[in-house]
Amino acid sequence: MEIELTAEQRAFRDSCGKLAAHLASRWHRGRGPHDVGPSAPDEASWSRVAEAGWLAMRLREENGGAEAGAVDMMILAEQLGHHAVASPVLGTVIAAEQLQSWGAASGLLEEIAEGTRRLAPALTPDLTGFADATGSLAWDAAGAEFAVVPATGTAYALGEPVPFADQTRAVRPLGEPVRTLTELTAPDGETAARTSAFALSLLVADLLGTMQAALDAALDHARTRVQFGSPVGAFQAVQQLLADSHVLTEASRSACWYAAWAVDALPGEEALRAARVAKAYASRSAVEVCENVIQVFGGIGMTWEAPAHIWLRRAHAARAAFGDEHHHEAVIAATEFSGS
Amino acid sequence: MDYSDDPEVAEFRAGLRAWLRDHLDEHRDATGYESAESVERTLRWHRALAAAGYVGLSLPAAYGGHGLPDLYEAVLNDELATAGAPPPPPIGHIAHAVADFAGEDLKTRVLPGLLGCTEVWCQGFSEPGAGSDLASLTTTAAPDGDRFVVDGQKIWTSGAMWSRWCLLLARTERDQPRHRGLSMLVVDMESPGVDRREIVLASGSREFAEVFFDGVEVPAANLVGERGQGWRIAMHMLSYERGPADMGWVGRLGRVLAAARDDVRSGRLPADEPLRRRLAAASVDLRVLQWHVARSLAGRDPGGSAGSVDKLLTTRIEQNLHHVVGDLAGASFVLGDPAPYGDYLWSRAQSIYGGTQQIQRQIVAQRVLGLPRG
Ligand SMILES: Cc1cc2nc3c(=O)[nH]c(=O)nc-3n(C[C@H](O)[C@H](O)[C@H](O)COP(=O)(O)OP(=O)(O)OC[C@H]3O[C@@H](n4cnc5c(N)ncnc54)[C@H](O)[C@@H]3O)c2cc1C
Repeated sequence: MEIELTAEQRAFRDSCGKLAAHLASRWHRGRGPHDVGPSAPDEASWSRVAEAGWLAMRLREENGGAEAGAVDMMILAEQLGHHAVASPVLGTVIAAEQLQSWGAASGLLEEIAEGTRRLAPALTPDLTGFADATGSLAWDAAGAEFAVVPATGTAYALGEPVPFADQTRAVRPLGEPVRTLTELTAPDGETAARTSAFALSLLVADLLGTMQAALDAALDHARTRVQFGSPVGAFQAVQQLLADSHVLTEASRSACWYAAWAVDALPGEEALRAARVAKAYASRSAVEVCENVIQVFGGIGMTWEAPAHIWLRRAHAARAAFGDEHHHEAVIAATEFSGS
Repeated sequence: MDYSDDPEVAEFRAGLRAWLRDHLDEHRDATGYESAESVERTLRWHRALAAAGYVGLSLPAAYGGHGLPDLYEAVLNDELATAGAPPPPPIGHIAHAVADFAGEDLKTRVLPGLLGCTEVWCQGFSEPGAGSDLASLTTTAAPDGDRFVVDGQKIWTSGAMWSRWCLLLARTERDQPRHRGLSMLVVDMESPGVDRREIVLASGSREFAEVFFDGVEVPAANLVGERGQGWRIAMHMLSYERGPADMGWVGRLGRVLAAARDDVRSGRLPADEPLRRRLAAASVDLRVLQWHVARSLAGRDPGGSAGSVDKLLTTRIEQNLHHVVGDLAGASFVLGDPAPYGDYLWSRAQSIYGGTQQIQRQIVAQRVLGLPRG
């Protein structure tokens, strides 16, 4: 048992954090309603992402990857959340993981890994999981060429982004079929469960990064904003909001670590159960923390210019993607708490 | 990142499971302190656990502990929770205070009895005038040659009625500022001048008392650490009391949830979809608490303030769990068997003892998050 990041993982976290901060600085949070354009990354940003190996690292070697563990991917996802990075890294990584599990041709996967072909995962219209038919939505699809519904082997072009609360991610409807991937075959249940667990664990990490960033900003504000002659962070009522937020964030981190570890270490079904628990917990917590953060900011927290709403929006959207707490708790209720 | 067991941990876990299979049944109801008999049952469970080698896992072997890493405490908690066993004895905080600060002679004299659960201990900190503001306490221990003479009153002292020893925080230095004037003493509860009066808890549980000290003589050799060090030792001890392993929380809550699950699955208690969702949410909380405790223990900085984070998390989860379980019980929450209502009442104490929820949040805000003092 060793429940911490290794020195290498900490170094990886720091390097991810640097690049994530750089990417985020190219997209100014909360510039104003007109100029928060769709969050499609510019070419320069996307090639930095590809060069960093983020799109390739998780894939199997024969598909151009480095077979990184889910814990490493969690570290990356947390940094992307922390800096509210708008580049669709998670969408791409999740789409690639799913296609790999369906035995997609290595040529396609290599192109994704290199960043030359951009894909997004197709989710059900309620965003709670991978799509199994048509009529679905491509998630985190800024700049993506197409999305695949593996069950039918069809790749669809993508329409214009639909209105979405999150300013840092795009959701796009599936359009015309553009090609058919004949090589796809359904993964066994074990692999399918593991793939879902993987996707969930990344969303949990994104939520964790988001809530930590929001909390850090609120702490800075509480230390510097003066009212009644003292920093507002000295008032007990404010301290209580922040202390509670810290507790939720740390518990979410504990859940995130376990779920990410479980993806590669436990049987698929168990990994999926752990991931559901973590997703339910982090979804509820992230929203609570981000709401507390807005409270601590006061009036400025309610403005478009301040980043507080960017975090709250990202938290709500990441909460919905692959199922919020209600979705997963319904599954748990049906499996563990149903009467005989 | 690795949550799987090393071979030694796996062996320990397997041994514990086997022991529980053979011995748990005779101790299943060893959870309460409602009456003399239930106290006796609970103490019997503690002694059985100790005799089998499962108490004081992370304490030095030289004094009756087992010298194992902290994470063994997490394994113990996990397994007791999974088996639906009663919690382990809540003594880790006292044991750590004595083990980490007392001299060789005192440790050798008292720790084996504590860790063997042959002698029960209580914690004499709170006073009528000193609760959250503990440093304002007025019980004195006047140095007098090779002894101290104790005068004063303690209150809310858990287990005092059947304790042999009291770890007492008292004022020894009259001319020192309030935090520096305190010392920690091990007091024999059978000494002349000790008078205990039972206080019944709102739940009906009889585990508390007020304790009066009237010219009680305590040998100087029973001083833990040095004179004036009492506050430091008390804070060290509270960090363990607030911390995750020593209090057997996960096990206690796991039992409550497991019972609810059985009631629902067997159809003994009907649960509609909203209620089943709330039970599912409580089970989410509990698993997260379990993972959090494992993480806290594997990388724990003993004596740090992170224990307050864990205490706040546990409080939130425990109090919510009892709301759900109470609602599941329906009218029988208030009608019939008083035990479930008593358990619920107990959950309200989680945010009071060991430092109230408000005080814990203040500790987190100021010492962990570095916010300014008001
Ligand atoms: C079940 C149980 C077991 C216990 N066991 C023991 C034991 O074994 N040994 C022992 O020594 N003590 C024990 N205690 C006592 C416990 O530690 C105290 O009750 C606790 O520290 C609170 O002190 P108090 O009761 O005097 O409340 P007070 O300190 O009077 O607090 C009253 C209220 O005011 C709030 N408050 C106080 N100060 C502040 C502040 N600065 N900021 C914000 N809010 C504040 C508190 O949060 C609380 O809500 C036990 C208590 C319980 C309930």
